[in-house]
Amino acid sequence: MIKLIKRIRVFVVMAGVLFIATSPGRAANTWTAPDQEAAKERAKETVPFVSAYKNEGHTERKMRLLDQGLSLSDIHDVYFLLDSPIIKNREDHYGPVRFAHKRHAALIQDCTRCHHYRPKDEAALETTRCSACHQDAFNSEHPERIGLKAAYHQQCMECHKAEAKGPTTCTGCHLKNVPDHTQLVNLPDNADPFQVTAECLRCHETQGKDMIKTAHWLWKGPSPYTTGHSKEILHGKAATALNNYCINVISNEPRCTSCHAGYGWKDASFDFTDMSKIDCLVCHDTTGTYKKEPTAAGMPAKDVDLKMVATKVGHASRATCGACHFNGGGGDAIKHADMSRQLLTPERSCDVHMGGYDFSCTECHKTRNHRIAGRSTSVPVAEGKVSCQDCHGENPHYSGGLLDHHLDNHCKTLECNVCHSPVFAKCKPTKTYWDWSQAGDKDRKPQMDKYGKPDYNWKKGFFKWEESAMPDYRWYSGYMHRVLLGDKVDINAEVINLTTPVGSIKDPSSKITPFKIMKGIQAVDADHDIVLVPHLFPRDKKDKTAFWKNRDWNKAFKDGMSVAGLPYSGSYKWKKTWMYWRLEHEVMPADMALSCAQCHESLKGETTCNRCHQDNRNVDFKKIAHKGTDFSYMKSRGRDVEHLINKTDYINFKALGYEGDPIIYGGRFKQLPMGYGSTP
Amino acid sequence: MQLSRRHFFKIMGVATATATVAPAAADTWQSKSPPDPFGCLVDLTRCVGCRKCEEACAEVNHLPTPERAACQCTIFEKKRRPDDKAYTVVNRYFTGTVDENDTPVPTFAKVQCMHCQDPACVSACIVGALTKDETGAVRYNVDKCIGCRYCMVACPFEIPAYEYFDPVTPRVMKCTFCYDRISKDGGLPGCATICPTEALTFGKRNTLLNMAQKRLTQNPGKYIDHIYGEKEAGGTSWLYISAVPFETVNLPVLPDKPMPKLSENIQHSLFSYLWSPIALFSLLGAIMFGTHKAQKPKETPSQKGGRNA
Repeated sequence: MIKLIKRIRVFVVMAGVLFIATSPGRAANTWTAPDQEAAKERAKETVPFVSAYKNEGHTERKMRLLDQGLSLSDIHDVYFLLDSPIIKNREDHYGPVRFAHKRHAALIQDCTRCHHYRPKDEAALETTRCSACHQDAFNSEHPERIGLKAAYHQQCMECHKAEAKGPTTCTGCHLKNVPDHTQLVNLPDNADPFQVTAECLRCHETQGKDMIKTAHWLWKGPSPYTTGHSKEILHGKAATALNNYCINVISNEPRCTSCHAGYGWKDASFDFTDMSKIDCLVCHDTTGTYKKEPTAAGMPAKDVDLKMVATKVGHASRATCGACHFNGGGGDAIKHADMSRQLLTPERSCDVHMGGYDFSCTECHKTRNHRIAGRSTSVPVAEGKVSCQDCHGENPHYSGGLLDHHLDNHCKTLECNVCHSPVFAKCKPTKTYWDWSQAGDKDRKPQMDKYGKPDYNWKKGFFKWEESAMPDYRWYSGYMHRVLLGDKVDINAEVINLTTPVGSIKDPSSKITPFKIMKGIQAVDADHDIVLVPHLFPRDKKDKTAFWKNRDWNKAFKDGMSVAGLPYSGSYKWKKTWMYWRLEHEVMPADMALSCAQCHESLKGETTCNRCHQDNRNVDFKKIAHKGTDFSYMKSRGRDVEHLINKTDYINFKALGYEGDPIIYGGRFKQLPMGYGSTP
Repeated sequence: MQLSRRHFFKIMGVATATATVAPAAADTWQSKSPPDPFGCLVDLTRCVGCRKCEEACAEVNHLPTPERAACQCTIFEKKRRPDDKAYTVVNRYFTGTVDENDTPVPTFAKVQCMHCQDPACVSACIVGALTKDETGAVRYNVDKCIGCRYCMVACPFEIPAYEYFDPVTPRVMKCTFCYDRISKDGGLPGCATICPTEALTFGKRNTLLNMAQKRLTQNPGKYIDHIYGEKEAGGTSWLYISAVPFETVNLPVLPDKPMPKLSENIQHSLFSYLWSPIALFSLLGAIMFGTHKAQKPKETPSQKGGRNA
């Protein structure tokens, strides 16, 4: 008997170990981002100290290097992580700095600006690493030689200041290490969420005051990029934003606000000035164990060890941002075609920033006073914008190859991800169609589509899903036109666009931009011509109007609209609605971008550059103009892209307002000398 | 008083003669500075005003975290001084230099105890609570301190602060040069450890002087041709080089001679061979003698009788 108990115990322990080993948290530990890993390894190396250097003039040295023919294509290490055991020797308050080596070289065009001296030994490398000469500070044998940390700081900051470019503050380059909170946090073992927040606020009151002014708390705020509303500050999910997923938060709070960074937003009575209701942990959890109850107005799940989570707080991560943003629309990848749980541990080919270099969201979406930069096409509120150009600049192609000049020219007309992420929902299917009018049939059996996704849910209606799909391309200036709650729509139109990108082929600031178009069928008031807000999620067991309980649209609209403070005539019409969702993430590595020939059909048969260039240089034209996104490889890896193999005119020039391929017909502002078309 | 005019001049003449002879002996004043002290070179052209030195100082010396440690937003708007809660502070000065966009260029300057070679505070301390150490550090011994605060009056840089809030065990507070750390091999003061741009360089004072001189020579036009602290107040362990005049960043113009030299000279000359007490008491004695003699004939028998009564 005792033996049996022992065996059972062993079994239980083993099962526990197995469970831990296979749980997603553990799996994440084994995942590594290859480029970042390589950079980390390089940063760990300490090179032998070079004590003597050749003291030559800067100009002299520059000329000598140019004479040697040193150029961008000689740079092997594109990326460095400025980190070294030497730096951490004395203190370790800040995280390492990402340094785009090749990009700096391309911008400065002078290696000697940073590599200011060479080792005296003629056999040594001409441009050595900083740490070859600059190691520990206050070296008594070389008192004038500054340490590695000071060398980095002096070199970077001096140049950034002189050029008035690039960050010069500590957090401009570094992420500050979060101190261990184990001793700092003072909580009882079974602390409730409000106790946790009070404990956080004990030291971080300023942050609390900041937080309650942000869009992540208020779910509304300034809408500078919404035409006609650019000076207003009250639009957002909590107020006037509409979509063709679950339409609007109003009257459905307890379900929707499970993604609110607060506790207890059940209805309009929620006090947005009360700091004690902030949910700090949902963003600052590092354990992966913090979860919110899906339908409890933002309260955490009962089984979360809040004290443990609170003692291990840290920076927001892909996991914490993704807890809400990957699951928009009620599940993984449903809303945002370019964001899914795949990005927790992405492959390099899925997203080069996160998969290759292990970027966290906030490295691009820079945060200040808890306001997170980024403009969404789906909601009006924005607290700063983020663009590829912030880091990559206006001329981001610097391979040192022949195409750089041509590709940089494209940047005036194309958004980067037209070429660099030619398909959306690369790994996880996303919802692209949602017909609410079919909802309510409890007997209808959902059919599984080719991706294994259900096409029906009685609560929500009929869906279509797409995976590895081709985006729709539109001219976009950064501004959106939106239908906001209460706005009159054209009820007779074939399609009502809830959001439309504002842009034109004639506008120099507009660029061709990839979108996922979300198509839906939703209700519009037949008399008042306004988009209707249904009351979907039941408030309690006695709820008589919620559609997800009573399946009566009229009652649902009546209740929803009355809570929204808007009239409802009693009759509604199902209308087609479209929304344009801009695609931003899941940027593929450079060598997987669309090739010239994939868009420019006219280059298909070319074998040389002499259509435009009169010389007959010895160039493998096929190699430089044809090698691009390999859809047949993607297909071999199980992606649904068969129809894209051998596709030409990928972005469809005519649909964008061109007469045809701009190589033949000329660009939007300039006619090519060899072309025979007219400018549009 | 019956002191005659002639008598008075006689006494004064002797006193003046002795007083003029005595200072000659004062030239024997010897600097008590340690032979090879540590120092710290502050290069104001390198300081970016990050205030990490303030943070590190507070941490290693168990002082309160500096105000607005995480944000430099408004802290530089007022000029601060080291006080009982901060051994060092960084101030921002706009000295009139502008960049090519006509934007004023700030100069940041860290202040702390300069650890003078011949410290006035040590000289002024009547109980020996302040001492100049072999390392160069001016050390404070709270057990000896009686709280007279003469050091605060004596310091030409106005550095020592006092814990006025504490009525029972107040201390004089000033930079310790992280004595415990630097006396260990390879140890650095907290501030120099953390300085991200090596605006602070720690080392032997002589090495630093050479290094500073080299920087001045190799960067003509960048620096003011002067090492502040090389000679000021007889030399200090902390040295400054700067692109702007030192008085514009609130480093006082001071004479080259050590602060204690004058005061100690006066004191020492007054007390050498105990001549001044002897002279004083002789003078007093002479006066007494004179006055006593003058009074004696006036003594009357009735007065004697009165005393007996």
